Amino acid sequence: MFARSIAKALCQPSTPLSTLPPTFLLPLRARLTTITTSTTTTDPDPPEASFNHLPTSQTPTNSTPSHHPPTPPQRPHRLSRRSPLPPPTNANLSLLPLLAAQTPHYITAHLHTRPYLLTAGDTLRLPFHMPHAPPGTVLRLNRASMIGSRDYTFRGAPYVDEGLFVCRAVVVGIEGEPMRVVEKTKRRQRKVKRVTSKMRYTILRVKELRVLAGEREREREKERVEGEEEEEELEALMGEGGR
Amino acid sequence: MPFFKITLIRSSIGLPKKTQGVLNALGLRKRMATVFKPVNPSTAGQIMRIKELVAVSEVEEALTNAEMRERRRPDPGYYIEKPVAG
Repeated sequence: MFARSIAKALCQPSTPLSTLPPTFLLPLRARLTTITTSTTTTDPDPPEASFNHLPTSQTPTNSTPSHHPPTPPQRPHRLSRRSPLPPPTNANLSLLPLLAAQTPHYITAHLHTRPYLLTAGDTLRLPFHMPHAPPGTVLRLNRASMIGSRDYTFRGAPYVDEGLFVCRAVVVGIEGEPMRVVEKTKRRQRKVKRVTSKMRYTILRVKELRVLAGEREREREKERVEGEEEEEELEALMGEGGR
Repeated sequence: MPFFKITLIRSSIGLPKKTQGVLNALGLRKRMATVFKPVNPSTAGQIMRIKELVAVSEVEEALTNAEMRERRRPDPGYYIEKPVAG
């Protein structure tokens, strides 16, 4: 009798476990946050070293010692791995196609230096209002400290080169919080002043998140953006002429 | 032209009038205030009088308060790619 109920419970799990792959295939969460970034490569050592040392154009080489304190001499392997950052090379970028091929991606985008962990399709309520960006505006997020997928993480020091990824977000609306009323009183006076405030917040939706793996792809993206800008300029000129 | 970048680290409260006078002459009115003064013997002498209270470094150009503020401002992290039509 019990066996039947157990079997029933197994057949109808409360959570849709059947849609997920087996447990051993699921990624360990810790892998995403540890420094060891590539987990599936057969020869992990050289890619790891090159993957940690990211090809960012703004990488300050003098900041390296603060990030990687010297390790004791009895561990020469670690010491060699944590050696000062090499200049960005093509070897660093050679693993980028692996990351680009594995969707979906996540990104740690920094807006006014605050990090936001995002994926495509996310809705983000910013803790501030962008008055110059009404709903419908397309924003390009160009500061990211980390881009990753299930198995790979691409870290910047401190930021990833903005030519290596595309992250577009659309302003979908503006949210208002309930009106706040603060009662201000002064001593020995009956008058109560009520101060009201109502904050507004911009809501973004991440429309596009891509990693630009190849050199050709990067150039194409650059040309596309520049072309759009030119078109807009032309349109603006036409509009002025029409008036 | 080099400048001394002088920042007042310690407050002048309770110090002799003479020391406070030097700080006023340099234009350091409150803690963490920064002034730029040209490198010359008279400025060096003033700094010597208050060397325990300030942090000094030598820089190439003098910045205004607005410029210093602008340099501290973090990058917004986004730009408007396509504004709303109309």
